[in-house]
Amino acid sequence: MAISKSKDLLSQLSQLERTVGEYSFEDLNAHEAKALKDSFNSFRSSLEKHIYTPNLGEILPERTENNVINKKEVSEKQFIAHVSHEIRTPLNSIIGFANLLKDEKLTQGQHKKVDAIQFASNTLLKLINEVLEYSKISSGNNNFETVDFNLHSLLKDVMFLCETLILDRKIELLLDIDEDVPKIVKGDPSKLSQILLNLLGNSVKFVEKGYIKLEVFTKKRKGNDFLIEFSVADTGIGISEEKIETIFNGYAQAENDTSKKYGGTGLGLTITKEIIDKLGGEINIDSTVNSGTTVSFVMPYTLGANSSSYQKSIKKSTSTKDGKILAGTEILVFEDNKMNEHLIVEQLTQWGCTVHADIDLDKGLYLLSSRKIDLILMDLKMPGQNGFEVSKAIRNHKNNKVSSVPIVAFSADFTEQDSKDCKEIGIDDFLLKPYTLDELLNTIVKNKEDKKEHTDFSLILQKPMIEPKETTVVDLTYLLKDCFGEVDMLNELVKLFKLNAIEFIGNVKINIKTQNLKEIAMSAHKLKAGFAMIKADGMRNLIVELESCCKTNQPEKVKDLYEIFLKDYPLLEDNLNKNLELMNKK
Amino acid sequence: MGNRVLLADDDQLLASLLNFRLKKGGYQVHHSSNGKEVKEYLQNEMPDIIVSDIMMPYCSGIELIDYVRNELKSKTPIIIISSAGNEQNVLTAFELGANDFITKPVSPTELLVRIAREINK
Repeated sequence: MAISKSKDLLSQLSQLERTVGEYSFEDLNAHEAKALKDSFNSFRSSLEKHIYTPNLGEILPERTENNVINKKEVSEKQFIAHVSHEIRTPLNSIIGFANLLKDEKLTQGQHKKVDAIQFASNTLLKLINEVLEYSKISSGNNNFETVDFNLHSLLKDVMFLCETLILDRKIELLLDIDEDVPKIVKGDPSKLSQILLNLLGNSVKFVEKGYIKLEVFTKKRKGNDFLIEFSVADTGIGISEEKIETIFNGYAQAENDTSKKYGGTGLGLTITKEIIDKLGGEINIDSTVNSGTTVSFVMPYTLGANSSSYQKSIKKSTSTKDGKILAGTEILVFEDNKMNEHLIVEQLTQWGCTVHADIDLDKGLYLLSSRKIDLILMDLKMPGQNGFEVSKAIRNHKNNKVSSVPIVAFSADFTEQDSKDCKEIGIDDFLLKPYTLDELLNTIVKNKEDKKEHTDFSLILQKPMIEPKETTVVDLTYLLKDCFGEVDMLNELVKLFKLNAIEFIGNVKINIKTQNLKEIAMSAHKLKAGFAMIKADGMRNLIVELESCCKTNQPEKVKDLYEIFLKDYPLLEDNLNKNLELMNKK
Repeated sequence: MGNRVLLADDDQLLASLLNFRLKKGGYQVHHSSNGKEVKEYLQNEMPDIIVSDIMMPYCSGIELIDYVRNELKSKTPIIIISSAGNEQNVLTAFELGANDFITKPVSPTELLVRIAREINK
């Protein structure tokens, strides 16, 4: 049936071709034009049908009743996966444009509305991603891997990440790994970390005080086959007995008001259970309201190539020998998965690279224009703005310094279409996850920009191309003249200037909370002279305006201007440093 | 021995530049960044000229002029550094006995010319 569908589509296409071929467009009469239009329309709806109901035609007729239902379920889930993907694209545009809108000069009220749009669309995106994840897993589209990995260090990494999630509360995080748990096992490390992060993340969300404890021990062992039990116990709000029964049903949060208080889409546990089921494990919940919850799951693993010393020595030789090649390399990492990000940053740092991670497009572009970045590592399948879009924005940037930085994409699955898209956008290379350290190293070495060769060239190109924002312009030539050309003095003054700026930022930060506008005005006043000295007229005007808004008692406007200052000052300081560097060279 | 200048300004940045230029111009500079300290210094020593910012912690430039002219009974020339838009303060300064004023952003070259003019009067 799928074939016949495609044939259908093809015959529609050729009919369309014929129709178009037969008529020259000049002498189309109304009737013919209608025929053409109809032909297009039927082509479109046929195509739509084909796309949106992928395998339905194939399944329905000749199977048994039971099979039909199962297959139908699968295809529904594929449909969900597909539609979720489709929704993400326009949603990303909404989020992207809302971001852009935020950069414009908005009134306080408009600002709030844009914030609301962003919040709503981000929530929607999160929901869609979870739906997608769920349908991917349950329809079997999700890739599971089987590799040797160090279970102990994975557990430690996961705990480390959780620690970073707890900021405002006193919660103890405990990790207890029984000594009979093997170090190296064979299985799917990324899925395990996903499960653990999901469960621990839940605990972090629901525990106000007390502890969260991850316990791991071997439940059964038969030769090289292990059944390992993981249990996450917390002292959180707990779940009532009747709710436990429905907790794994998608979209069911314990209480109706739970999501209001704690957020979330209610899909987390459903996804977790799906993954565990797929991996041949089993999950259990034991909970008492108001005293805590214990979620435990067992998972089968086989003993991995137990050669931890061997692995270590490989790692060492790589990092000491080859890693040197990368020392001093500055790398931007776009990766939304905290776990992966943590690992890659760790590795790159060991190789002596300077790494910028945990960034979004805006911050990335800023770093690219203000620093000398040698390479960008880009996860293609990020929620929110995905890697393709971010890469496109970088390649289309008007500043040649930004748009020419090599990009290496990485992704867990890489389709023909992805490869085409990469080429089109101008992504230089790609790495398939999971990659080995050697692969990572080699790909970086191969692609990183050769600093020395390009520096002068790009400097020349860069000069007329940058159109800096008014508020970031500086010019030290006048001040240098005032210093009688003594660069040491100039350096000293620039240092003092920076201190003043930092002091100002701190001062405003404190006083804006208490709305002490008088202090802020004083602080702004002090800073004016400095900006005049370095001929930063744009920023000086902003400060003058800020000062006058203090005097006319407009706290909201003061706040807005301060925000602009916070955003632009680092750029200004970069220009200042560059300017100074040039003078130091002369 | 060069003439002695008391530079009273709490803006470290501007003060550093002026200090540098004054020393290059052959002056002996005493820099102070708050009014209280300035007063203490003046009790022991009277410079050849005073250059003071109008806005300073503890004792404003205006108070300083009053102190020098009316308490210390000194005729040492005083040049006031003021900000744009502070014209009323400048008038007060002149009424109390300031000799000259210069508006921010200060051109060090201009300030040196004005200092020399006051000292050579």
